[in-house]
Amino acid sequence: MPQVLLLSVLVFLMAQMMPGDALSGQIDPNIDPAAIEAQREKLGLNNPWYVQYVDWVGSALHGDLGQSFRHKMPVTDLIGQRLANTFWLAVATLILTYLIAIPLGITSGRYNDTLRDQLITGYTYIGFATPLFIFALVSLWVFGFKLEWFPTGGSVAPGLEPGTFPYIVSKLQHLLLPALSMALITTVNTVQYLRSEIIDTKQKDFIITARAKGAPESRVYNRHILRNSLLPLAAFLGFEITGLIGGTIFVETIYSYPGMGLLFMDSIALRDYSVVTSVVLLLGVVSILGVLLSDIILSIVDPRIRIK
Amino acid sequence: MSKRYLGKLFSLLTLVLMFFILTACNDEDAEAEVEGNDNADKGEAAQDDVFSIDDFEQIKTNQGEAIEGGTLNFGLVSDTAFEGTLNFNFYSGNPDAQVISWFDESLLDVDENYAYTNDGAATLDVDREAKTITFKIRDNVNWHDGEPVTAEDWQFAYEVIGHPDYDGIRYGSDFTIIKGMEAYHSGEADAISGIEVIDEKTMKISYDTFTPSLLSSGIWSYAMPKHIFKDIPVADMSSSPEVREKPIGMGPFKVDSIVPGESVTFVKNENYWRGEPNLDGVTLKVINPNVVVQALENGEVDLVDSFPTDQYPENADMSNVEFVGDVDLAYTYIGFKLGKWDAEAGEVIPDPEAKMADVDLRRAMWHAVDNDTVGKKFYNGLRWNANTLIPPSHPDYHDDSIEAPTYDPDKANQLLDDAGYEDVNGDGIREDKDGNELVINFASMSGGDTAEPLAQYYIQAWEAVGLKVELLDGRLQEFNTFYDRVEADDPEIDIYQGAWSVGYDVNPAGLYGRDAAFNYTRYASEENDALLQEGVSEKAFDEAYRQDVYSKWQELMVDEIPVFPTVYRAVIIPVNNRVQNYAVDFKDGVGIYRYQLALTQEEAVTAE
Repeated sequence: MPQVLLLSVLVFLMAQMMPGDALSGQIDPNIDPAAIEAQREKLGLNNPWYVQYVDWVGSALHGDLGQSFRHKMPVTDLIGQRLANTFWLAVATLILTYLIAIPLGITSGRYNDTLRDQLITGYTYIGFATPLFIFALVSLWVFGFKLEWFPTGGSVAPGLEPGTFPYIVSKLQHLLLPALSMALITTVNTVQYLRSEIIDTKQKDFIITARAKGAPESRVYNRHILRNSLLPLAAFLGFEITGLIGGTIFVETIYSYPGMGLLFMDSIALRDYSVVTSVVLLLGVVSILGVLLSDIILSIVDPRIRIK
Repeated sequence: MSKRYLGKLFSLLTLVLMFFILTACNDEDAEAEVEGNDNADKGEAAQDDVFSIDDFEQIKTNQGEAIEGGTLNFGLVSDTAFEGTLNFNFYSGNPDAQVISWFDESLLDVDENYAYTNDGAATLDVDREAKTITFKIRDNVNWHDGEPVTAEDWQFAYEVIGHPDYDGIRYGSDFTIIKGMEAYHSGEADAISGIEVIDEKTMKISYDTFTPSLLSSGIWSYAMPKHIFKDIPVADMSSSPEVREKPIGMGPFKVDSIVPGESVTFVKNENYWRGEPNLDGVTLKVINPNVVVQALENGEVDLVDSFPTDQYPENADMSNVEFVGDVDLAYTYIGFKLGKWDAEAGEVIPDPEAKMADVDLRRAMWHAVDNDTVGKKFYNGLRWNANTLIPPSHPDYHDDSIEAPTYDPDKANQLLDDAGYEDVNGDGIREDKDGNELVINFASMSGGDTAEPLAQYYIQAWEAVGLKVELLDGRLQEFNTFYDRVEADDPEIDIYQGAWSVGYDVNPAGLYGRDAAFNYTRYASEENDALLQEGVSEKAFDEAYRQDVYSKWQELMVDEIPVFPTVYRAVIIPVNNRVQNYAVDFKDGVGIYRYQLALTQEEAVTAE
């Protein structure tokens, strides 16, 4: 809670310090400057920052995040529209991340220092070194424009009835490429983590015991080693979510995928303060929750750090 | 993993990567060669060549036979999603305007100089004596739901925009000059006394002041369906579903579905008043500027609302599209800060002591820069040397014959010498008239690849005639910061580079008048006041007289130089070969309308 409060003040101040406001893009001789000034006054943009802050916090506590200056609609509705898109993007990315990470991590850890392992670690190093936005652009170009396997922008094909089967398929199709390009990059942490965890675990005494008891190799790996290695991994789920937030900002911009990340960029560009502050606050809360989630899972799986 | 392995692996990877890069290059080279052979004459026009707006048609050449129906894909090039305020009376951003113009339209048509004609959905009858205009909407003009567009709908638009609760930005001089508008706007009157509905399709507006400007785009010509909006409070209209989710209009296409911020599908309006559209529908979607070329090449979009001109030279020979072009309603200019803005009085106060106050200094700075070469080198000819402050986009008002200063460093040196800006301490840099150091601070905006080199070019060109010009804060300013500081008359700024898109009305008083907040140079003179006044006088209803007045004004600006125009600009639009009857942005006066758009085949033509 104190973090959120501090965050809100910081965000609000920084948004205020941005030069210009939601109406300063309207420098157009077809528009009367007096009309712009009148709107500024009406929107309270001329008030000192603390007045605006108190107004904003006051209504935010009532669940009203204010009105978007540019979209002319309540910020809560606007975020609601976009949040669903980002949520599904994040879910798809998480699923893909683990789908890629777990087999690779296991292979790499089990057969460490073989050719297979080297190839996989090679991939993770490239992954570490590749900036997400470059990778996303390249995969958009290759898979979207050259091979034409995936659509190249938006979250759904135009003209479909929401809720119908083709609509859902189209949503999935639009989701896949952004999610995949994000997953391929973010997964490398998890692969590395899983690999070292397995290598670590397989030299533990209880594994030697299991082997000595004559347990078959597959059972040793699937039951004993994997289980013990996956538990700490689960704890990183929360951090993974925090990382995703950063990733979506790039990916959504590149794929013109209208989610929270794109909304965030748009509102900064258009100086739509009420949206910027609300989005940052929301993302901040999600990050804090993510870390909290990690701590909780960690304390469940690892009895040593439980707080009594 | 041991170090040795890592080293090996690394070199292996490097090899693999290099292989990829090399093959990629080869592929591209091969492709380029093939394309070059295909259209050898065009192929030569790549890269360094200079293009000219004269080589572009405004109207796309029709190829082949049109088919019946078909769906056109329209790309809205924007790095932000469209905001979704889909009504002419409420929108603020250009992306929204692009969406609206497919399904709604102005009741009045204008000619190429943006003066009203009687070809639109309504006709007008002007009575200058009585200061009234009587509008008559055609009988067959209906909303998409079948209800007729009535005089009350039009009156309703005025009532909404003038309402004290209205949250848009359209209430301006088009409105305040109507009789009784101010009283209605301040809440003193319940109705606008100057707007009178005569019968279902006829409306009469009485004006307090009647100027020639009124007849060139000074009338609010967008009706609002009253039967739909009448029960919604004005303050809630812009966020209502009637604006955002299921908007209706009177245009050639109807909104079928909207995916907020990313796409809109339209179907044809069979009862469109000009005639049934050729197309079955239009699909509009937002395209990121980074991928617009690819989307055009593979036929994902047939045409776009705007094309980044800096990408044109590399794509001039794209085989599946034709580029059409037109002169943009805009110019770039260098402005000289000559005074302050008095917000209380609402007028500019010129400062005769300003650093840039000597007109010879300003003229020398104009002579010192070579805008012709700037246009060729930085913009491949798609921007070109400007001579006056009324761009050629207003063909009857732009005066070609005015001789503005051109690149002539000797002349610049001469002027500076004569004006007393001499290099007294021998460091190659001129001092001011009193022999003190003269440093001119130059504010310029960031954005695009050319912003930085262009600003550097100007600084070097001025240095070549001995003037020390420094970039404000040593860097380019971001758009909002730039205008914040220019607007606030930041004393740090002596000169700045800006751009204006000009209004439809040729009257420049909104940018250069004594009482104009947009008059950022804060220049004013009696002669300027007189000419601007004359341009909207009773006599100026005579077009030839008005042209003459604005010619004199253009001449005055070249003599006084509060700003000097640097380049005019071109708009370039790529259009897929299958599209017929397209004119750049359906520019007014060309005589081609959206309902006439047609296709020659079901699928878009793709690039080879």
